[in-house]
Amino acid sequence: MAQSQDNTQEPVAGRAPLIVGGYDFRSLTEAVAVPVERKTPIGWWFFFLPSLAMLGLFGVSIGWLFWEGTGIWGLNNPVNWGFAIVNFVFWVGIGHAGTLISAILFLFRQKWRTSINRAAEAMTIFAVMCALVFPGIHVGRVWVAYWMFPLPNQMDMWPNFRSPLIWDVFAVSIYGTVSLMFWYVGLIPDLATIRDRAKTRIKQIAYGIFALGWRGSHRNWLHYERAYLMLAGLATPLVLSVHSVVSMDFATAQLPGWHTTIFPPYFVAGAIFSGFAMVMTLMLICRVLFEMEDIITMRHLENMAKIMLLTGCMVGYAYGIEMFIAWYSGNPYEQFAFANRALGPYAWAYWIMVSCNVLTPQLFWFKKMRNHIGWLFISSILINIGMWFERFVIVTSSLHRDFLPANWDYYQATFWDFASLIGSFGLFFTMFCLFARFLPLVATAEVKTVLPEADPHQGEELVRVVPAGAGTEPAPQAAPAGGGGS
Amino acid sequence: MAHGPRIVHLDQLVIRPGSGWARLPLIAGAVGFVFTIVSIVLARSSPESTKQFFHSWLVAVVFFLCIGLGCLFFVLIHHATKAGWGVVVRRLAENLACTVPVLAVLFIPVVALGMYDLFHWTHADAVAHDRLLQVKEPWLNETGFWIRTVIYFVVWSGLALYFRNASRRQDDSGDEALSRRMARFSPVAVAVFAVTLTFAGFDWLMSLEPHWYSTMFGVYFFAGTVVSAFAALTVLTLAFERSGHFRGVVTGEHFHDLGKLLFAFTVFWAYIAFSQFFLIWYANIPEETNWFLSRLHGTDHNPANWRAATMLLAIGHFAVPFFFLMPRTIKRNRTLLLIGALWMLAMHLWDVFWLVMPNLHREMTFSLLDLTSLLGVGGVFLATAGWLLSRGSLVPSRDPRLVESLAFENI
Repeated sequence: MAQSQDNTQEPVAGRAPLIVGGYDFRSLTEAVAVPVERKTPIGWWFFFLPSLAMLGLFGVSIGWLFWEGTGIWGLNNPVNWGFAIVNFVFWVGIGHAGTLISAILFLFRQKWRTSINRAAEAMTIFAVMCALVFPGIHVGRVWVAYWMFPLPNQMDMWPNFRSPLIWDVFAVSIYGTVSLMFWYVGLIPDLATIRDRAKTRIKQIAYGIFALGWRGSHRNWLHYERAYLMLAGLATPLVLSVHSVVSMDFATAQLPGWHTTIFPPYFVAGAIFSGFAMVMTLMLICRVLFEMEDIITMRHLENMAKIMLLTGCMVGYAYGIEMFIAWYSGNPYEQFAFANRALGPYAWAYWIMVSCNVLTPQLFWFKKMRNHIGWLFISSILINIGMWFERFVIVTSSLHRDFLPANWDYYQATFWDFASLIGSFGLFFTMFCLFARFLPLVATAEVKTVLPEADPHQGEELVRVVPAGAGTEPAPQAAPAGGGGS
Repeated sequence: MAHGPRIVHLDQLVIRPGSGWARLPLIAGAVGFVFTIVSIVLARSSPESTKQFFHSWLVAVVFFLCIGLGCLFFVLIHHATKAGWGVVVRRLAENLACTVPVLAVLFIPVVALGMYDLFHWTHADAVAHDRLLQVKEPWLNETGFWIRTVIYFVVWSGLALYFRNASRRQDDSGDEALSRRMARFSPVAVAVFAVTLTFAGFDWLMSLEPHWYSTMFGVYFFAGTVVSAFAALTVLTLAFERSGHFRGVVTGEHFHDLGKLLFAFTVFWAYIAFSQFFLIWYANIPEETNWFLSRLHGTDHNPANWRAATMLLAIGHFAVPFFFLMPRTIKRNRTLLLIGALWMLAMHLWDVFWLVMPNLHREMTFSLLDLTSLLGVGGVFLATAGWLLSRGSLVPSRDPRLVESLAFENI
């Protein structure tokens, strides 16, 4: 494929094209549908089989956990919460970028979202699945995992409604449900396209069932658009609320390092940060593998890099303010918790976190680095390492030295801790590989709306400006058709 | 669909001589001057009044500063995102942001005189017996306070003047490089703005109760600031439309967007305010609950007094506007949107009052000085804004995205 047109330079008037490569409605459908329809490319197996192996490791580690109990993990007395909660928070966070892209960027009319929202939403659902495994398995007595839910039972036992842990159950399950609906509603028109193009009976029936009888009629679209707007409105508060509730798992406690009021927005910013890094990693691979460099263009990558810079700075702001207030509070326990974080036994983790999360994105101030595919890939991985460490630092460095020095201990992860972490990546990537193989990776119908020919006012002059001192002679100055949104 | 393009005459987009806007600087200036004098006279009547004056003045200056700073934020974010829709209202925000240097003149001398009455941590005898205040002394000392305050004002004024001047230079030259330069500089400016605003909130408001601390406080101050700015911008745009200056320039589409942003930041404020309150309430640590207790309890004589104020904030700054501003119809209806925006301005004033006044009154009381200070500072603020607005075009007339903004539709 020829070198793509550079659409990262936004003209001062008008907008740079979002999609390059001269696509029209028909060729766009082709480009998205063909990867679903053709024979499985050999490259796909290179990603799928290792993912499946990692998923197998997940199964083994969970099986061993159920057999042997949580003793196989590195938990000890002050650090009762180890990798399980770290992984849970990490995965819930990953999901947030999908919801931000599909809901908040939709409300902000950021039309570049259309090329990446489908994959990002799919990522959200898989991330939530990974997240939900950990509360389920971490309790040791997994056969009573249903106690997490407020189910009526013969013992009149209810979960403590004042505990943030049950708010988590509500928050994350609502989040998962709404994300799934949002994703699925968006998929319907594209599923119908695949159904209509399908050559075999099995495919026609399989895609046909999930296309819910979509006919692409005016009424279909009217209802679709309305449902989409409503789901976007509902999902927007969820972007903020879910990770706020997760942050309250820590912040409602009295433990220094956990109890601080900035936690809710700080967690949300971090979640979006890591989520965008994950979308970046996935998109960089997918756009090459499925030959979509002209649909998921450099401009999309650059915009994601800008959001990573913004959220990375927000996270850095929160680290700084936490440190400052810990000192300013004059509270010796607060001061100790933060000094211990930066200089104590977990200093190595703290500085990994700071360098990955705060320093790495700073290079995105430069356009050259935002357009550097190699750096985008490396930084997206580094950021996710950093964001995993952020949760690790919060959990372990606060717990391992609490108020009583007699209780101090050092948390050391075991093989099985790492196995469940790596295994959860296996679940995530397996699901994503299946998605990329069998479902359209890009929301075709939505991308078509950002093509120039979709604009009803294309080339039409809507407003004419008469410059000062020009008398009655109107200067022809055409209104730019549509608008890309940066 | 054969109606032709909408014609906009740029030479009409200036304040017309003889309109109310042309008289605004003089009238508002006179009101401001008179009420400033009245406030000073009242302040000198007794030591209690002096103390009251400093607090009332702080409320008034911070309230109007928030509008200016929030407008500065709007300008910065507008350039940073290369936004198109809002170009028609951007000049109004640029001008309101340039009230900040004038408000600095109202802030610095009064607060300098009132340091002892406003800030407990300036009392040497109190510090001598208070370990916490001793620990905080490297931050909470008068020299540091004033160095930082001057830095905040210099940074904000510099940013506000830079963006207004560059935009006005473009009116004359039409130079597109100016748009590029502003877009390139604005993200850095946002970062600087975020840090200065946070520490200004810590210094001027949080340190009124020097024992209390909250990492969220900077974000809380920011949220209220942006709410007040969008409310003020909406009111000003509506006023220019009503006076005929903006007829055919701004449309229901622009009001719809302004309303959406006002709504969004109202909800954001509630999210931040609730999170801050809730985490402190839940953990129930005495060092932190103290600040809220003085806002939830009055005296034995009148226990429910500040609690009513807090309730009003929760209901009036969130619950009511949440339902009122949500429907599309209200954001596109001029009269109803005006009511909503004025209400949010009033609620933001209430927010600032609620942040400052428990420092002075254990029991909520109003004073004549609250009103005279508000009119004094408000008069000067409006006079400055009116004068700035009269100095050129009311829209960035040769901004390359002006036509995009004029033709903008919500879809």
